[in-house]
Amino acid sequence: MVIVGGGVHGLATAYYLARNHGITNVAVLEKSYIGSGGSGRNTAILRSNYLTPDGVRFYDRSLKLYERLAAELNYNVMFSRRGHLTLAHNDSSLRTMRWRAEVNKASGVDSEVIGPADIKKLVPFMDTSERARYPILGALYHPPGGIIRHDAVVWGYARAADAMGVHVHQDTELTGIDVEQGRVTGVRTSRGSIATRVVVNCTAGWSTLVANLAGVRLPVQTFPLQAAVTEPVRPFLDTVVVSGTLHVYVSQTDRGELVFGASVDPFASYSTRGTLEFVEGLAGHVLQLMPSLSTLRLLRQWAGLCDMTPDFAPIMGHTEVDGFLVDVGWGTYGFKAGPVAGETMAECVATGRTPELISAFGLRRFADGSLVGEKGAAAVGH
Amino acid sequence: MKRQTRRLDRQPGEVIDRGSPLEFGWNGRSYPAYAGDTIASALAACGERVFSRSFKYHRRRGLLTASYTDPGCIVQVGDEPNVRGAHRLVTPGMDVRSQDTWPSLAFDVKAANELVGRFLPAGFYYKTFIRPRPLWPTYERVLRRFSHGGVVSPDPLSPELSSYDKRQVHPDVLVAGGGPAGMTAAVAAARAGARVMLVEEEHSLGGHLRWGDKADLAALHDLRSLLAASGVEVLTNSVVFGRYDHNHVAIVQRGLPHVYERLVKARAKTLVVSPGLIERPYVFAGNDVPGVMLSTAVRRLINLYAVKPGDRAVVLTANPQGDAAVVDLERAGVEVAHVVDARGGDDLVRVLGRGGVKGVELVGGHRIECDLVVTAVGWTAPLTLLTMAGTVAAYDSRAARYFPGTATLPDDVLPAGGVVGDGTLDELVAHADAVGREAARRAGSMSRREPAAEIPALPVDAHPELFHGPTHGIVDFSEDVSSRDLLTAVEEGYSSAELAKRYTTATMGPTQGKLESVNVVAIIAEATGRTISQTGTTTWRPPYAPVTLGALAGRHREPVRYSPMHPWHERHGAAPLVAGAWIRPDHYGDPAGEVLAVRERVGIIDVTPIGKLDLRGPDVPKLLNLLYVNRWSKLEVGRVRYGVMCAEDGVVLDDGVTGRLGDQHYLMSTTSSGAASVWEWVESWLQTEHPGWQVHVTPVTTSYASINVAGPRSRELLGRVVAEIDLTPQAFPYMHVRTGRVAGVDGCVLWRIGFTGELSFELHVPASYGLHVWETLLDSGNDLGVRAFGIEAQRILRLEKGHLIVGQDTDGLTQAFSAGLDGLIRLDKDDFVGRSELVWQAEAAAESRLVGLHPNDASVVPEEGSQLIEAGVICGRVTSSRWSPTLHRSICLAQVATEFAEPGTLVTVRLPDGRSVPATVTEHLASVDPEGARLRG
Repeated sequence: MVIVGGGVHGLATAYYLARNHGITNVAVLEKSYIGSGGSGRNTAILRSNYLTPDGVRFYDRSLKLYERLAAELNYNVMFSRRGHLTLAHNDSSLRTMRWRAEVNKASGVDSEVIGPADIKKLVPFMDTSERARYPILGALYHPPGGIIRHDAVVWGYARAADAMGVHVHQDTELTGIDVEQGRVTGVRTSRGSIATRVVVNCTAGWSTLVANLAGVRLPVQTFPLQAAVTEPVRPFLDTVVVSGTLHVYVSQTDRGELVFGASVDPFASYSTRGTLEFVEGLAGHVLQLMPSLSTLRLLRQWAGLCDMTPDFAPIMGHTEVDGFLVDVGWGTYGFKAGPVAGETMAECVATGRTPELISAFGLRRFADGSLVGEKGAAAVGH
Repeated sequence: MKRQTRRLDRQPGEVIDRGSPLEFGWNGRSYPAYAGDTIASALAACGERVFSRSFKYHRRRGLLTASYTDPGCIVQVGDEPNVRGAHRLVTPGMDVRSQDTWPSLAFDVKAANELVGRFLPAGFYYKTFIRPRPLWPTYERVLRRFSHGGVVSPDPLSPELSSYDKRQVHPDVLVAGGGPAGMTAAVAAARAGARVMLVEEEHSLGGHLRWGDKADLAALHDLRSLLAASGVEVLTNSVVFGRYDHNHVAIVQRGLPHVYERLVKARAKTLVVSPGLIERPYVFAGNDVPGVMLSTAVRRLINLYAVKPGDRAVVLTANPQGDAAVVDLERAGVEVAHVVDARGGDDLVRVLGRGGVKGVELVGGHRIECDLVVTAVGWTAPLTLLTMAGTVAAYDSRAARYFPGTATLPDDVLPAGGVVGDGTLDELVAHADAVGREAARRAGSMSRREPAAEIPALPVDAHPELFHGPTHGIVDFSEDVSSRDLLTAVEEGYSSAELAKRYTTATMGPTQGKLESVNVVAIIAEATGRTISQTGTTTWRPPYAPVTLGALAGRHREPVRYSPMHPWHERHGAAPLVAGAWIRPDHYGDPAGEVLAVRERVGIIDVTPIGKLDLRGPDVPKLLNLLYVNRWSKLEVGRVRYGVMCAEDGVVLDDGVTGRLGDQHYLMSTTSSGAASVWEWVESWLQTEHPGWQVHVTPVTTSYASINVAGPRSRELLGRVVAEIDLTPQAFPYMHVRTGRVAGVDGCVLWRIGFTGELSFELHVPASYGLHVWETLLDSGNDLGVRAFGIEAQRILRLEKGHLIVGQDTDGLTQAFSAGLDGLIRLDKDDFVGRSELVWQAEAAAESRLVGLHPNDASVVPEEGSQLIEAGVICGRVTSSRWSPTLHRSICLAQVATEFAEPGTLVTVRLPDGRSVPATVTEHLASVDPEGARLRG
């Protein structure tokens, strides 16, 4: 079978196909180098403190897979479980934090609402005073959340899949999907053709274009999401900090750099260039949270592409074309879901049945009107 | 105090002011310097050679480039981390310290890493610390201690580090880079009539002419005179760090009085990119030992700062600039022990010495004692701005450097000087002069009939391809990545330039590839048997130079909105509530008392932030029918109606009342938080879907001050201040609107609605009279017991009445039927936004409902967000809860699964503290006056 996209989703799918189902006659097609898309451009934050019980269950499985990934792949993916703070600057977001904490607790996930004094203890640089323009009223604290070395996840899956016989083809762009009488029969690439009965679309940014090759339309719009990194300084920030009101999330890597992300750009686009407006707004928001960081210098900015669906939930599983499966529409949270998406897609492909964990994410829901409800939590949630 | 033992006699091009001596501190000791010295030049003048320790191995590092990009001299200045010591000018009393060394720069414990250096190859981290898993957090803590960089403090910064600024400029021509090409182009553009801004990263203009010979200095003098007479605005110590769409150019300007850094945003008609060339380091064993420098570094030290960089030198040269360095060294009294001419195939094998250069080994094993090794092996073109403009860089093996593909550049970007070629100074000037004139022409500064300037192409000199010697050495000095690391990466399969870069972290450090990028690509190309062109290049990403968060943020003032009544609120002890853009009175000290005043007498509340849109035109009813779920075609003049908007997915978006003031004139109100987004929503539908509809939308939120007068005696109070409006229930019934004069103010809008559940009138008065009307109402109602009430009281009142708040009792998931809006939704009207989803929902029946809920223990107020749990499964949540002063009990609204929504159902609320309490679903959402008798009274 053929997997399109050499990011964490495609490589994890290939890995679990080989490991869990013994299917190794698999080609992963990557038009650039592995991890060159969203997998290498995200801000590598992991968490499972979602809003709906289904979301919590799904991402908690992903977090558990991530936790044991290093040992399983014999490759240190440097999962740094350092705690995750989502700040509330007004009573309405505090109410949502309480709601999330209660849903999490009911699902056995460690989350609680903490007050400004406890926030200050966790992040001494934070302006928790009442003078702040958007005073911090509290936060959702999620100790199991953290960051990971995203490239290492990609490389670890690729190496392990390769060792079991999977072929990873870099610099190989998909140019066509052959469909006969509603069935996939093969693919064409910039480096030749492959006969296959199964094609799994694990792309982001180009998922609609790949699906079009099979004649499948996806309700997906592509938006850039920008990020930036500063020069390194000595460690001072141990937790991941997210502020929905200020549209920013911050963490400090083991190398000492601060990594910043935000919500998606307001307009659909395929551009991966950064904008000046973004870094200006970002810097202003970071300094509202931590005013003494004015002298810290921004080193690099970039953008990745996010495929947004109408209900902010992914599209997974079979399509109307027999043998053409999708694992797309991951919005801004695809990286967090890499392992669980790979595991469930592999099962879906290998058994022909849709695992219960992803049964709500089928493409048909947009025709049936049974949308998934994680929109409230996913809008700005990193 | 230290002495300036290595300071030379006066040099013709020196930039130091010997008449202004000063002192500053380095690691706690006092050092002398002259005004104009950089931190590095002043320290070098006193004989210091070691300024930092390297990232991984903590090797001693000295000067390499003696410019902004020098990776060996990044220091802490007071509270400021990562200061470029080879660029920052010293000031009296400056407190400079080496970064990340312990216990001291001279003796650094972490240098032990060097001993185990062979155990820290590329990808080392990925291969180790994997088992046992429980120990990784411990390993990680140790690793984090090795992170590199300066120190930031949580304390407030000093005033000089905390003032930032922005400036907007609109030059015709912006020139990035003030070397001879940039200066010439700027002068030519200005002479052609353009308004020109010239931006230079260093502290003075002139580029390489500044460390050139007599003829160069004379030419520089002439160029400076021309420039001074040209009217060009010159920014020095400033960098163009980004070129964004439509020539929006970002500049960071440093060294201003009272402003630490300023972001200058230029909308340039034409951008000339003339950054010159960056000298490339040579990769061989020991190339990072203090005392190994680039030819430009020694020429800067000698000619600009009058510093003797060593006593006995070996020079590796492959170009005329390297030869000129030999001349400079000899003139400065440095003994040039040997010149290795790379053009003849000679090479350096290794540097001897660890803490500083003690000698070199040549091919064949011959060793020469020296304390200075100079390399001149080629140039890198900094193409960031050009690649941001769309150019694709192409490698030219004959010249051993990359060039911009000019065919891919937009018309409004012109490269000049070293990035496009070489040539004599005369050729450079002729070329840049034409670029400047053409830039002015393209900016429209000259007559349109003026023919395009013919830009003479610069010749490109042949240069040997020299990237590394016969031994392995450091490629990325900031990241401590060696050529051996790159080979390891390739051997392990990370064979594309991007993968090898990420695996080794080469080019990821503070220099961002400016020094090391081409060497990285060349070494990977060689290791993979490909050419440099086939290997490509790593992406140059913005910003070109690092820029402080302070400058990007500017003064970062978030505007705050206050209503016209705000001074009254402040005088009367209002507790401020941050509500988006607004600061509002939460309460005046006694919210329960405020509630009772409204229930029993009369209260007034400032509701100015309510969103208000003035809608005019014949097609307004069509717009209302499209955006609201209910029907609007038959709203009569003088009536108001409550409406709910849904998004396309059927999720409740906003609510509010809209009144018809005239035949084709409506006033729409929105929630306070939705004021801006609903306006955008309305405009978006009108402009993209129905451009033909005749509707004119004007946001008037802040044109009116809004006051709600509520309570059984509100009619009586209002009657005292209203003229010419009959307030009797028959003349002005519930859900009607009137316009007229209030407290002597014309043009007021009154509508009879009731969020609080009491008889109430909402006044919208011209904003400038808001305070007057507010105070008049209070003065006129003393005997009625009138009282101001705040948001908290309003929330209690509306909860008692069971009125939902969009975004609180609904959320990003709540669709209209779940919000209990069944009666409102008109699926039988023509298409409206959200209809198709609502049709599905109507068929499927909502999964949850909004209900009233009373905890059985009336004293328990469950926190909002508490979950309803039955048999271990979540079946709902409390969306609103308060203590009701009217009923003396706790009351709630809750979203519950439909099967639990029947009145009288007993449910279990799990409180955040873990306790579970029983509660009962009530018959109505309203706990007070469900029939609405008070409201309609």
